[in-house]
Amino acid sequence: MIETHHLSKVYSRGLYALRDLTLTIEKAEFVFLTGPSGAGKSTFLRLLLLQERPSEGEVFVNGQNLATLNRREIQEYRRGIGFIFQDFKLIPSRTVLENISFVPEVLGVPAAQQRRRAFQVLKWVGLQHRMNAYPQDLSGGEQQRIAIARALVNDPVLVIADEPTGNLDPDLSLEVMNLLREINAGGTTVLVATHDRELIRLVGRRTITLDQGKIVEVA
Amino acid sequence: MRSIEYAFRQGGASLWRSRGSSAFAVLAIALALIVLGALLTVTWNAEQLLARWSSAAEFSVYLRDEATSDQRGAVETTIDQSGLATGREYVSKAEALTRFRREFAELAELTTGFDDNPFPASIEVRVRPGAEHESAEALVKRLLTMAGVADARYDRDWLTRVGSGLGTVRAAGLGLALLMAIAAAVTVATVVRLGLRARRDELEIMELVGAPIAFIRGPFVAEGFLQGGIGAFLAITALWIGFLVAMAWWGANLNSLFGGGLVQFLPIRLCLYLILGGMLVGSAGGLVAAREAA
Repeated sequence: MIETHHLSKVYSRGLYALRDLTLTIEKAEFVFLTGPSGAGKSTFLRLLLLQERPSEGEVFVNGQNLATLNRREIQEYRRGIGFIFQDFKLIPSRTVLENISFVPEVLGVPAAQQRRRAFQVLKWVGLQHRMNAYPQDLSGGEQQRIAIARALVNDPVLVIADEPTGNLDPDLSLEVMNLLREINAGGTTVLVATHDRELIRLVGRRTITLDQGKIVEVA
Repeated sequence: MRSIEYAFRQGGASLWRSRGSSAFAVLAIALALIVLGALLTVTWNAEQLLARWSSAAEFSVYLRDEATSDQRGAVETTIDQSGLATGREYVSKAEALTRFRREFAELAELTTGFDDNPFPASIEVRVRPGAEHESAEALVKRLLTMAGVADARYDRDWLTRVGSGLGTVRAAGLGLALLMAIAAAVTVATVVRLGLRARRDELEIMELVGAPIAFIRGPFVAEGFLQGGIGAFLAITALWIGFLVAMAWWGANLNSLFGGGLVQFLPIRLCLYLILGGMLVGSAGGLVAAREAA
């Protein structure tokens, strides 16, 4: 699903965020990416989302070399990825249902289909009763479940989560991880960046540890 | 189609959300268009006046006292055959004297005490509307060479001078309106950019889910378009009210200033151009801001 070859990202003044990273993540795999702050986890995810370009090396996702994609192909590529952030990034002026249906809406899906699909994923995360609430009226755990529902609304082949439990207590964190495991059980590849070692231990999946931009352990 | 509908729905909502700051952009566009519209109203009426004067152009061929009727006949034939005249009138020496006394009554005494009538007979020619200025001048030059003709006057230079003066006024006004339009576009861009920054997360999500560029930038262009349209509509309304007030107070003076013709408001076509111009200025401002979005 994801392959990188000698991937490096250098910022100004020669500072390496990633250095010579070569790894493979199989289709339908659930992988943790861990390491201390500044290890390069978020940079790696930004490269996968094409928010940044590598300085050296290549990234292949689903057989596509990301360096060769033009603007239109990038849009198409991103439609197959669901993303979840630590700070949820929900739109405060929209209701829960609108926050989810907004994704198919901006992709040009007809209105009735948008709402139907949004309601389905909302039901799946167990928050259909809060569909008319606004994000600020929800707890942190509920907000992250909405963010997960939004990530799933397009039936992605890959879900990328950057510290999805960073703002949640241990019980809610486990709840979010269970949702991600369920997503993975359906055949979706899941890549989670986290520095929460305890959570990784509880979930027990393949873990790639980064430090100073390099892979230091794969377990 | 869906992206246009989305752009206008979101653009309208954003306009409403930021109605305080949007009012500045709308006002800037309205002011630019009021200046341009007022100028167009004046120059348009002046052009109508010039057109009336041009279509009513005449020239006079003054005959020598000793001109024979054959010579006069030759002059009249030349005028008729030129195809440039819609009519002509022979004014005898006696008629010329009578006209002078009637039109300049206070100077009538000056014409007494002569042994002879000093006024020449003439032929007054009404030039066909739309006739080329150069052709009429050529005809006058030709008439001047004919036997029995003392002089011929076809003075259109002043009309040309007024026309070019009007062109200068219009160019200066357009320059000023252009500067104001640029300032209005910058105001729109600034206001739209404020809204854009408040929606950073939303835009980031749109980019990350692979939303087409039309969905990302469209609402900002639509917001500018709506600001421009509202500004233009307000400008036309203000101009119309100003026109009615001016006509109510100084209508007679204005009508006489414009040659006795009825002073009119801008024709619908120019009003539509102004509205379109406002929308274009607004859209341009929105587009400049939208380039920050993706």
